Order: sequence, then C-alpha cells, then structure tokens
Amino acid sequence: MTDQVVGDTGRGSRGSARLAAAEAASPSGVRTIDYTPQRFNPTPSRRYYFYMMAPSIILLAGISIYPFIWLVYMSLHTLGEAGQPDVWNDFKNFTRFATDGKFQQGWLLLIKYSAMCMVLEVGLGVFLAVILNRSKLEKFLVTLILMPMMMAPIITGLVWLFLYNGAFGWYHWLLQSIGILGATSVLGDSDIAMFGLVAVDVWQWTPLITLITLAGLKRVPQDQLEANMVDGAGPVRNFFTVAMPNIYPFLLIAVLLRFMDNFRFIDAILILTGGGPGDATNILPVYLFDVSFQYFKLGRGAAVALTLLLVTIVLGMLLVKIFEDPKRKIKVHGGDEG
Amino acid sequence: MVEVNIQNVWKYYGKTVAVKELNLKCPENSFLAILGPSGCGKSSTLRMLAGLEHISAGDIFFGDLRVNQLPPKERDIAMVFENYALYPHKTVFENMANPLRLRNVNREEIDKRVRRAAELLQIEMLLDRKPMQLSGGQKQRTAIGRAIVREPKVFLFDEPIAHLDAKLRAHMRGELKHLQRRLETTTIYVTHDQLEAMSMADNIAVMHEGVLQQFGTPSEIYNHPANEWVAGFVGEPPMNFLNCRLERGADGVVAVHPSFRLALTDAQRRLLEEKGAEAEVRLGVRPDTIAYRAGAGSGLGIAAKVFVTEPLGGDMIVEVQLGADRITVKTKIGPSANLDEPCTIAFDAARIHLFAASNGIAYF
Repeated sequence: MTDQVVGDTGRGSRGSARLAAAEAASPSGVRTIDYTPQRFNPTPSRRYYFYMMAPSIILLAGISIYPFIWLVYMSLHTLGEAGQPDVWNDFKNFTRFATDGKFQQGWLLLIKYSAMCMVLEVGLGVFLAVILNRSKLEKFLVTLILMPMMMAPIITGLVWLFLYNGAFGWYHWLLQSIGILGATSVLGDSDIAMFGLVAVDVWQWTPLITLITLAGLKRVPQDQLEANMVDGAGPVRNFFTVAMPNIYPFLLIAVLLRFMDNFRFIDAILILTGGGPGDATNILPVYLFDVSFQYFKLGRGAAVALTLLLVTIVLGMLLVKIFEDPKRKIKVHGGDEG
Repeated sequence: MVEVNIQNVWKYYGKTVAVKELNLKCPENSFLAILGPSGCGKSSTLRMLAGLEHISAGDIFFGDLRVNQLPPKERDIAMVFENYALYPHKTVFENMANPLRLRNVNREEIDKRVRRAAELLQIEMLLDRKPMQLSGGQKQRTAIGRAIVREPKVFLFDEPIAHLDAKLRAHMRGELKHLQRRLETTTIYVTHDQLEAMSMADNIAVMHEGVLQQFGTPSEIYNHPANEWVAGFVGEPPMNFLNCRLERGADGVVAVHPSFRLALTDAQRRLLEEKGAEAEVRLGVRPDTIAYRAGAGSGLGIAAKVFVTEPLGGDMIVEVQLGADRITVKTKIGPSANLDEPCTIAFDAARIHLFAASNGIAYF
C-alpha cells in the first residue's frame, strides 16, 4: 500500500512529447523505458589513489614486513655468534617447546593475567563510563581519570614499586594494617604477586576502556532509551538491552587494544617483579624477553615470539567475529566472566 | 479507557520556562491534538505525560490516579516517537514484542498479539526484517505496532508522521484516525501541522510560547478563534489581518479601512457592544471567504491591484495589493493576471472576524 507513493512519478511533459518506439505505456499507466544509453560516460580513474598510498605502503613494508620475514628466518635457525654462519636446525626451536616447562607455564600465566585484567578493566571501565556519562562534571572527571594512562608504563612500574615496598610502601602498609597481607610484601609473595601486577594494569588501563566506552555511550540514541522506558524497562534492563548493543563495537576496539597490549606491555612487570618471585609472574612475554635478551638465544626467542604472534592474530580474529555476530554476544559475555 | 487531566502544570528547564499554568482535559477514549509551532511547549507536555520529564509544578491525573511520581513503566502508556525510536538490532517482530516481553507475557500470547497488530497495520510480511531494511512508512507502522500490542490506557504520539513524504502523510492521517476510532483508546497527539490536528482530533489544544491559547473542537478553533494568534496559525493559506477603525454611521456599525468601508451585521454589532469593543480593531478575513474578479470595475465593491497570482491546478491564490496592505485571496482557477493589473474584491461581512488591536482578543 505504501509503495503507491513511489509509483507516482513518470509521464513528465517532456517524456510524453518524445515517446520513442521502444517506450510503451505499461498496463499500470506508468511510462517505462526498456533500452540502455548508446554511450556511457567514462568512469573516473582511481589509479592515483594507489599512488597516494604507495609511500605509506612502502614504509609499512620496510618497518613491519621485513622484520617479520627476519623473525621467521631466525626462528628456523640456530644463529651463529660472532660471524659464524646460521645453521638450519630442523624446527628444533619449536620442537623444544614440548619439553620446555617455563614456556608452557608462561602461557598459563599469560592467560590468567590477561583474563583477570580484561574482566576487571572492562567491568570497571564500563561502569565508570556510565557514571561519567551522567555526571555534570564529566569533562573535569574525564581529564582526571585519564591521568594514569598518560604515564609512561615504566614510570608506573616504579611508582607502584614504591607503593608496594615492604619497608615504606603505602599500599603495603594499608594492606597489612587491614590484615590482608601477612609478613611478606605484595611482590615478594608468590601467591599474591600476580594480583599486584593485575592491579597495576587495571589502574593504568581502565581509563582507556572508560574513554572508548564513553564515546560509545554518547552515540546511544536517547529516544530508544526513552521508548524502552515507556515499553516498561527499568534502568538496568534499559542499559543492557538498548545501550549495550550500541556500545559493543566500541567495546570491541577497546578489548582488542587491551588484549594485544597485555601481550606486549611488560615494562611495568619487568620493573616490579621481573617474572618473580620464583616464576610466579613469569608470563610468556617476560619469558620471551629473558630468552632473547638475557640468554641471547635469539632463535628460540624468535620461535616463542612467532607462536605468540600467531595466537594473538587468531584470538583477535575470533574476538572480532564473536562481537560482530549479535546472536553470540551474550555467550561472549558469559565466557568473559568464567 | 481513561480520562487524562492536566492541572496547573508548569515546566521549567533550569530558569527557562517551557510550559506555563497548563490546564487540559482529554475525555475518555477521545483524540486530543496539541498543536503549536516548535518551542511552544507541546512536546514538553507530552513528555511529562509519559513520565520522561519531571513535572515542575502542578499535577497530572489518569482517571483518579495522580501519576506525577510514577516512572514511565508504571503509567500504562504507549508512545510513538518522532524518529520512531526502533531498536536497530531487533527485527520488526521483536521490536513490537518488546513491551510484552518486558511485562513477562507468555510466548504464545506475544506471538498472537504481535501478529494481530501487524495484520491491523498491514506489515505481516515485514516481521522478520530489521528496521534498516524498512521504508519510512513501514518504520512508522512498526512504531505504532509497538504501541498498540499492549492495549495501554493512553496513547501518546509525538509528531509521528512529520518525517514522511507529503502523500504518505496524508494517507497515514486517515489510517491513524481509523485506528484510534477502532481501538477506542484515549489518545494525545502532538503536532505542528494544523492539517493533522484539524483532520484527526476530537479536540485541539493550541499552544504558543508555553501558554494554552485555545481549547476546542476543530470547528470551534477554525470558526471561532480565541485570539489573533490562533486565527493566524490555523488555516491555510493563513487569515488576512487589516487594521480598521469602528465607526457608528447611519447604517449601523462600520469597519473603516483606508480602501473600504464594511458594514457589520446586527449580530456582530450586539457582540461588540456586549464586549465593550474599542474603536481600533484588527479585521481578520480568511482567504477563501473573499470574492475576487479580474479587471477594473468588474463589479465587486473594493478596487485593488494584483500583486501576483499563484495557480494551484484547481484553485488559484491571488495576492492583492489593497492600499498599503497585501492580502491573500483563494479563488477558483482563472487566467493569470499581470503585475499591478486592476481587480476588484469583496468581503462577506458575516464571515469576518474582529480582534482588539491592543491585545488581539477576539470579539467574534
């Protein structure tokens, strides 16, 4: 019924004057044309787009593709020291993983560390964003909240090193006086050290999630929220049914960024524990650092790095896929918690 | 289902006031249109009815129930928004089912009610689509569907068809009115389009600058405007206004304009006396009550010049220069006249309006 409106064009005064042989009035009384133009105008060339992009493509290739090829090469060889030739070693760098306890433990610790960081940061970040979005002091508070993120991770590490210090650390004193901490210091206890590191990461990077989520919240249409309220939803339900679907794409970017950062930002960890006590915080990137730059087993280090890279890519793609499929997003949510 | 009663309602946004001392009553099952230009406070009023805005002062009653403190979900209302406010990630079916799901209606009942509403609105074949795949008219039907599935006490419409194209809008006016008559639900409809208000409503509340100007049936609003502003706002093309002076002559009371003298009827004279009219008045004449003939000395009483003619197919709008004033005349289609061509016009004394020049209040 609504389609009738569209059909009302046609039979212009010019058209009927030039009614060509190929044109015929259709039964519905609308003038139709069944031929194509004799000559099409040329499509504008898009080649110069490529020329415009070429410099950055070359630059990118130089700084990321070339080193990547080198990484693959290194992971397949035992690198000769001091001018000796590199030797092909029949994937020994990789086969050794099967018996490398620190490598396997590194993975487990990395998963534990990432999962804890992610859940806390997303939960806290979204919560803060919702509060900020309603606050009248939003601009001021956003500036305030962003401060930890502005800090170089190495400085963050040093600051928290002092805060956790067993002799004069403020947090150490606080935790001890409320009875959570025994005689040991936070970073000295192999049961607690991991949580100490997670706290640092959450402190520094929750603001990023907040900032990105806030941008998403701004985009949530007010009238949809209101319509849902009139339909009968309370504030909590309203947030999960209307606001959440709107901020999912933003949250995806935030989670993806944090996810990759967790695999490579180890500055603070190196400062705070260096993988200790024992190997309690020796997550894979730290182990990779040790292998490559403490023991200078560059071939093995390259192999570790390559597996890390592959897992990052696969997990990243998986994450994007899950977030993009609206039917499965509920499951992701459940999966995050567990 | 319920009478809506707005009593002494005020709305402030910070220091700016949007609605002043509003008193309105929408009888049970009737259709009330709140009409006014943008910024007149009509949307604020509707949002207060919906529970989306705090009521700064005064009370709103649904029947005997004072709803001031009730959140939207407890008011048992349904609202259709200007931009439809459909949930983009949900299908048409899910959009319409949303109010029912939020009230924990069981699955079969939801299915039954949504399909019945879809049938009523002729969108059964669209139930699996997402809002993005719908045309404006279809979106609008879906939004209405979402409102009617629940059989609420009050329907609230916030300019629901303002964004449709002209032809579809005309079509939907009829459909909406039919729907309201069939469902017999108290309906409050906000619009800036007088055509929508006139054609659909049982009662119209005309608002301007936060103040209720007039409340009445469409015919009362059109034929007996309360003041000059209402008279000028309702009617297309708008009413003409001319400054006149009332004089008492041998032939009764006469409205005198530099270009003409117009004798008033006895009934009008009595009304003026009752209301103690001042001498300075504004004469209001609707364009379609003015007679027009082209050519000098063509027989009607008042000589004038053509400013421009605008043919509309069947009718023609003629703008006529009458001394220093310019007035609009609506007449049957005739030959276009050249600029400044002489013509004659005549007023029908029985169908004019007079307003006080000082405050614009209508005498009749």
